[in-house]
Amino acid sequence: MILSWIGRIGLSIGFLSAVLGAVNQLLSARRGRRSWALPAALASLTGIAIAVGAMQVALITHNFSLAYVAENNATFTPLLYSITGMWSALEGSLLLWSLILGLLVVAVVVYYRRQRQDQVVSYATMVLFIVAGFFLLLMVGPADPFLLNPAHVLQGAGPNALLQDNPLVAIHPPLLYAGFVGFTVPFAFAMAMLLSGRVHEQWPIEQRRWTVLAWGSLSVGIVLGSWWSYQVLGWGGFWGWDPVENAALLPWLTATAYIHSVVVQDRRGLFRVWNLSLAVGTFSLTVLGTFFTRSGVLQSVHAFSSSTLGPVLIGFFGLSLVSGLGLIAWRGDELRTVVGVDSPFSREGIFVMNNVLFVGFAFVVLLGTVFPLLYQAINGVQVTVGTPYFAAVAGPGSIVLLGLMGLAPLVSWRRFDATTIWRRARVTAWTCVASVVVLELAGVRHWAVLLVVFLGVAAAGSALRTLANNVTSARRRQAPWSVLRSPSTAGMVVHLGVVILAVGIVVSTSYTTRTEVTLSPNQRTVVGGHTIGFYGFGKRTTTLDSQTLVNVTVDGARLQPAITTFSGRSQAVGTPAISSNLLRDVYLTFDAVGQGGATSGAQVQSDVPVGAVVLGVTIEPLLSWLWIGGLIIGLGSALTLGRRRSSDEVNG
Amino acid sequence: MTLLSSFRLWCLAVVLVVGSVILLPSAPSTWQTRVAHLETLVKCPSCDNLSVAQSTTASSLAVRAQITAMVRAGDSDTQVFTAIERAYGPTVLLTPPSGGLTNLLWMGPLALLLCAVVIVARLRRR
Amino acid sequence: MRRRVVALTALVLVVLTVGFTALLATRPPIDATAVHSPLLGTMAPAFSGTSLNGDTVSLQQERGNIVVLNFWASWCAPCKQESPNLSSFAWSQRTNHVKVIGVVYNDTVSSARSFERYYGALYPSISDPQGSIAFHYGVTAPPTTFVIDRGGRVVATLVGPASQGQLSAIVSRL
Repeated sequence: MILSWIGRIGLSIGFLSAVLGAVNQLLSARRGRRSWALPAALASLTGIAIAVGAMQVALITHNFSLAYVAENNATFTPLLYSITGMWSALEGSLLLWSLILGLLVVAVVVYYRRQRQDQVVSYATMVLFIVAGFFLLLMVGPADPFLLNPAHVLQGAGPNALLQDNPLVAIHPPLLYAGFVGFTVPFAFAMAMLLSGRVHEQWPIEQRRWTVLAWGSLSVGIVLGSWWSYQVLGWGGFWGWDPVENAALLPWLTATAYIHSVVVQDRRGLFRVWNLSLAVGTFSLTVLGTFFTRSGVLQSVHAFSSSTLGPVLIGFFGLSLVSGLGLIAWRGDELRTVVGVDSPFSREGIFVMNNVLFVGFAFVVLLGTVFPLLYQAINGVQVTVGTPYFAAVAGPGSIVLLGLMGLAPLVSWRRFDATTIWRRARVTAWTCVASVVVLELAGVRHWAVLLVVFLGVAAAGSALRTLANNVTSARRRQAPWSVLRSPSTAGMVVHLGVVILAVGIVVSTSYTTRTEVTLSPNQRTVVGGHTIGFYGFGKRTTTLDSQTLVNVTVDGARLQPAITTFSGRSQAVGTPAISSNLLRDVYLTFDAVGQGGATSGAQVQSDVPVGAVVLGVTIEPLLSWLWIGGLIIGLGSALTLGRRRSSDEVNG
Repeated sequence: MTLLSSFRLWCLAVVLVVGSVILLPSAPSTWQTRVAHLETLVKCPSCDNLSVAQSTTASSLAVRAQITAMVRAGDSDTQVFTAIERAYGPTVLLTPPSGGLTNLLWMGPLALLLCAVVIVARLRRR
Repeated sequence: MRRRVVALTALVLVVLTVGFTALLATRPPIDATAVHSPLLGTMAPAFSGTSLNGDTVSLQQERGNIVVLNFWASWCAPCKQESPNLSSFAWSQRTNHVKVIGVVYNDTVSSARSFERYYGALYPSISDPQGSIAFHYGVTAPPTTFVIDRGGRVVATLVGPASQGQLSAIVSRL
């Protein structure tokens, strides 16, 4: 009861501070009034922190007088899942979003405190306050996390089964949200530049390291989400082109274009319209993502329960995109540059191709995601757009992007110089051909695998060549750690990670085999070169769940796929077991039992003998390369912190 | 060896490799591969977005048994899809039925590709 | 010229955005419980099988009767709730040319028989070992019930445990 009021007061303080802060920043920008940004930001953050604190206390003490706690927590929920329960459902997820946004606003205001009377900084801070105010308004109004529970319950429902299965629930959403929220800053400054008319200034360049960190956070968040799906969902896959997954991919695509495109603005002052549009677009797509996840308009295994938030969220999306585009159209004249792009195969030209491809890719994914709604509105029939469509359009696009990754580090700025390109590319080019020949001789026939390896080796070769050059320069300067200060080091490391990820994806999807084996106790069989043995059932019960285990060995290593039933929820979920190494993953699921085994919760198959088990065995080569690639992408993004600032650059 | 001739040699190597990939015989198509392919195009009726190839629910197994039976009986792909659609409704196919609005789905990417080519081709020193 | 290209592109995108936003704002959320079976109004797929008691049951021989076809399983919790309702319904309608037929969904014969005995089912159920009857009726989860009129057309589909009142209301309208 009291907690509910504390939480609501906290939210109101947060909201009012944000509104007042926005008004103050507007006046500061237009009339030169004194900026109260820091007090307003701190007050807003305090309000949000109070609300978050109240929710956490309620969750940890299992206080079921709050409806949210009764729906997402139970007396036996462990501490970790009580804490993460805050973002397991809709209203609480907005609390996490607001918390990260509140922290970000304070960070930006502190960072720019010396320039707080600058008009661009004022406008940007105003936009940040408006966005923060919007999300807080959602919680003050329609999505109140502190609703009281009218019934007096002694036991809550506990978190959703799949959200208390795996500790990644503590890492994946915060990282994703950090990425999404991080892109509010480029958006705010883009709007500020457009509003003030100072569109030729270098704010995006200066903010690059924070934008890259937000991008890195989003990338790692998405990869962790795939890893989590892979571990729990039971079909050995990691990406389903599900609307919510696509919702996270869309801003990632435009953000990747943005962080590359800003490089050209830094070097040659070009691409101002592109960069402003990409900043506006990325932020709008994050709002669109919140719409897909929370409106219930599209069926998704990852979606929160549907709510009345749909029209509000899509309205905010429309508003931010239309105002951004409108401002760009209005300022179009001032965005003209004297110089242009000289050749399609100069470095700038490759970056134009890069921008166009990423934005096109985003448009196509958006089209596929929204198409069922369009079809239903026009034809009145419900249809599905699934993996076959997305794979057909994403595949070729990704392959071209891989090719660009190989080409870009080799081409020169301002001109297409064939001899220089070939001189730089020679060694890598022959390595590509050699790799494909080796694979063909080893029996690899899938043309997609051969093509991706060819282009992947090219991209890796270009990246390694650049890194080697950086190391040589650093050694020559007798300062080996200065390799981190080179502009391209972090980026090339990330490219290496992307290559590993791409090879992992294409090899695992082309060569995955799935078999079902029926085994009686103490029976062994060989599947795809691996010995699978079954040694009986087991049972494990804790306060949180009860599991029927299957004792299996894969090449001698012990695994226990299971069916888990969580207390408080009637759904039983399959818990797969994975044997993973650098070369392949063996993925086991407990599919069915023979007659008489109905109590295990597994499906019963009549043609299976009593006491026997049906196991799903999926063998996926190079699957661990996805996670390794993701890790390297994350590390590479972090390396950007060592990069020398643009203001320190001598020769560019 | 000059740069130009080394480049030409490399191009020749690439052409040979591409030729070998195209010409080498691939695995013959059997009724099993056809069934496996069709299974990736039908959605598991009781799941959110898995194909019947990936799901092991009872409804998926029933659909798979039906696909196998129909393929072995010699039915065409269209007949298989029509039968499944009659039982479970149009949402069970992972790609919308062709014709009409669905053309937008496939023409859209092509139109964007065209735009992309136009944008890049117009990049010339002014 | 440059300004016009930028302004024009922005205008086109603004129009698309407004249309897109309007489309999405007016979409209704998916209601998880409503099911519109594609079989409604069509002829019910034919089937025949052996009941758990050994008799032969087929849809063809029930022409002229209203058939309530119920897919169930012994491992399905709502089915346990539904079974006594179906039995009461079957008994009350036994002189009205209404037949209740159960179909065992993804279950073993022995478990189904025990279930039938435990809940005292007053209607026959047939086994469906390959799941082909369930397939033709588009059943994704038990309990699912179809009401078939005297001419053999499907007139109603119920997903979830059917109550006696619901079935009586549907049947009285036929």
